[in-house]
Amino acid sequence: MLLKNTYNEFIKILAKPRSYLGVGALTLLVLIILFAMKADGKSFISFVTASFEQTLSFNGNILNGNLIAFIILQMLIVHIPLLVSLVTGDLISGEAAMGTIRMLATKPISRTQIVLSKFIAGAVYTLVLTIWLGFLALIVGKWIFGTGDLIVLNSDGLVILKEQDVLWRYGLSFGVAYLALLTISTLSICLSAFAENSIGPIVSTMAIIILFTIIGSLDVSVFDSIKPFLFTTHMASWRSFFEDPVPWSTIRDSVVILLVHNVVLVLIAMYKFNKKDITS
Amino acid sequence: MKIAISLLLFLASYSVKGQNVDANALVQRVVNKINTVKDYSVSAYIHANIPLIKIMPVNASIYFKQKDKFKVVSKGIAILPKQGFTDVNSFLTKKGSYMAVWGGNKTIQNVNTSLVSVIPTGETSEIILAKLWIDAKRDIILRSQVTTRSSGTVTVDYTYGTEVAYGLPSKLVFTIDVKKFKMPKSVAADLNKTDNQKKKTANKDQKGTITIKLTNYKINKGISDNVFKDK
Repeated sequence: MLLKNTYNEFIKILAKPRSYLGVGALTLLVLIILFAMKADGKSFISFVTASFEQTLSFNGNILNGNLIAFIILQMLIVHIPLLVSLVTGDLISGEAAMGTIRMLATKPISRTQIVLSKFIAGAVYTLVLTIWLGFLALIVGKWIFGTGDLIVLNSDGLVILKEQDVLWRYGLSFGVAYLALLTISTLSICLSAFAENSIGPIVSTMAIIILFTIIGSLDVSVFDSIKPFLFTTHMASWRSFFEDPVPWSTIRDSVVILLVHNVVLVLIAMYKFNKKDITS
Repeated sequence: MKIAISLLLFLASYSVKGQNVDANALVQRVVNKINTVKDYSVSAYIHANIPLIKIMPVNASIYFKQKDKFKVVSKGIAILPKQGFTDVNSFLTKKGSYMAVWGGNKTIQNVNTSLVSVIPTGETSEIILAKLWIDAKRDIILRSQVTTRSSGTVTVDYTYGTEVAYGLPSKLVFTIDVKKFKMPKSVAADLNKTDNQKKKTANKDQKGTITIKLTNYKINKGISDNVFKDK
């Protein structure tokens, strides 16, 4: 029954025009970045390597598909949460707003399973968005710009990774990026359980992301103790796969914290939806 | 007394003048050797050990053609010093644009070398000062220290192999100054690192080295100009 309801939930997502808005916006954003890089990518690269270029010269195809994918991922990972919450923030509250939640509750399925099916449908939608981003960034990027070594700028300096050493890093980094986006999806569905309208959970999700990001970026010692537990701190953990050596323990901590966020948010949503008064 | 002082000054000036002549002649002999190479291609194994940059060794092909055509072709990204590869040679071949001053002898790689300071006569030259440690017996440069307007000072140690007759090295070790490197904060956004950690890594003042092993020289075989065009 859970799987059947999940399937129905995914059909509902597909039926909403806003679901395609996210995919369309993502496609447009990536195409704009690809066009900009094709037109003036070299000046962007020289901005990155400027401090080295007085003394050193970089030879080889620097502006390649691997670097383009990295730039796209870095630019868009901040904006994709909005596209995710636009759909997932509506999953429970949208039913409440339209009044279909009562009909849903008459089905021979527990409220817990209803919430779980919405979480799974939201997770599948997020996965589709992540895979689509990966396809556009990596596959289309390599098709247009070719392949080559990846040059990454960290605060420690430049890391230049061999072409054959990059693909597995992308695989794992997209996995962690997906987990971060899944946390956004879970948060918005959780907030959706508390709301009666569509816009509230979407705006609340973005407000929380902005608030946590600002707290995380403030270099004030009073926030040092809570920063490691904010999910926004770990949203950029995908980047760690492009360090040399890979800081596995840091990534593991990030994955654990993101997973804990997901589990706790699902439990809160379940509790709230089970207690929710849908009769009035 | 006056006669004695005048005699000493005359002898000193004669001595310096004599050494200057020697230095110029020495440089000219090196230039003559360099000029025997019209073009060459060579396989290079480049190993960069530079603070703030992590890169694996890279294989590349280097092409050179007189006067100053130079190209590095590599499958991956290769890092080379901006100065010190061909610019010293092309600077030395511009006769009359510099003056050479002998600065003494020094043993490098167990070889007695003559230190020659090469100073440009023009005010617009990119090179401000080039110090060359020259093996006068073989007319080859064993070490150079070039100070330029834009790139600071680069020291290069030369090791010679089979192509010593052409003055072409089999190994080059570039030592460069790394203190000027600064990370753009807006691009290098590492959320998991505190600002103090970032400052610690960014303010390091160190030397970096780039070692290039050169093998399989093909000298004066003719190289098409198309090789040097950007694709």
